[in-house]
Amino acid sequence: MGVTLAKGGNVSLTKAAPNLTQVMIGLGWDARSTTGADFDLDASALLCASGRVLGDEYFVFYNNLKSPDGSVEHTGDNLTGDGEGDDESILVDLSQVPAGVDKIVFPVSIHEADSRGQTFGQVSNAFIRVVNQADQAELARYDLSEDASTETAMIFGELYRYNGEWKFRAVGQGYASGLRGIALDFGVNVS
Amino acid sequence: MGVSLSKGGNVSLTKEAPNLTAVIVGLGWDARTTTGTDFDLDASALLAGTEGKVISDQHFVFFNNLKSPDGSVEHTGDNTTGEGEGDDEAIKVNLAGVPAQVAKIVFPVSIYEAEARQQSFGQVRNAYIRVVNQADNKELARYDLTEDASTETAMVFGELYRHGAEWKFRAIGQGYASGLRGIAQDFGVNV
Repeated sequence: MGVTLAKGGNVSLTKAAPNLTQVMIGLGWDARSTTGADFDLDASALLCASGRVLGDEYFVFYNNLKSPDGSVEHTGDNLTGDGEGDDESILVDLSQVPAGVDKIVFPVSIHEADSRGQTFGQVSNAFIRVVNQADQAELARYDLSEDASTETAMIFGELYRYNGEWKFRAVGQGYASGLRGIALDFGVNVS
Repeated sequence: MGVSLSKGGNVSLTKEAPNLTAVIVGLGWDARTTTGTDFDLDASALLAGTEGKVISDQHFVFFNNLKSPDGSVEHTGDNTTGEGEGDDEAIKVNLAGVPAQVAKIVFPVSIYEAEARQQSFGQVRNAYIRVVNQADNKELARYDLTEDASTETAMVFGELYRHGAEWKFRAIGQGYASGLRGIAQDFGVNV
């Protein structure tokens, strides 16, 4: 049975599933039925060492779907939210993550939020979750529509190494500066 | 070698540094880069008698009372954001100057306005509290607040206590749901 995490809380994935190797981050939302520009939500990942991305290629997002080592893979950009369940997902093979990476940070953002005047609260049933692929247990879920209503970008959570284990921490903190601001904060050279 | 305390850890450090004369309790954390109210962590100290209560309200050293009447315990000042490298707040203790009726000095750490700001230690990056033996600059103990007090808003880190003619440090790591106010009241401060 999965653990529900409070903001700031952490859980050991290794303890929950000792042979754990696969984790999936799933992002879902309802396509817009009202008039206006589509809601285009984006999941991404930053493979970091000491708080900074290992290199620009280690920022996995809609324009860079796979980390160089292949351990983190984005299944593709969904521009509208069409489809049931997870509309975007990021697969993480923990056994392949480079040894130097001590943390993988997961932002979620709205594409062109400022110019479209959109926030998570306007999107119906927007959520992001992390699933332990070993038993399909959902380790954490954020109701973005409800709990990040005024945000346009936020760090959902992070996978990190701790004392030989992989752990997940629920972060749930926003950035007024969007995905660009998040990427810059972690040392990505953003054009 | 200092001891890194983890949740539930309660290690006797009496062999680590007998004959303590001066220590610094250091509190550090990263300033917030995400959107939202600053994380304002506070270190404090309670000089207590043998019944476990402060010998007077003035012997509760915290951001509004930076020095004990005898001058033996001194807080170097409130840091309200975490800005700066290393320890962001420090409490200096000159054990030789501690009044005879003080049997122990207890060290709480807390988040200012945690309830109103809906903050817990786990949301703060790289939050820690440690105690350093001034005689040789060795870290006697360190507690990773972000990791091991993730859902807490206040806790007692540890205490210095008299043992015969000597002073020793005991790690505690006990959380308080009632905040710094609750801790202070527990130790007999008239809040």
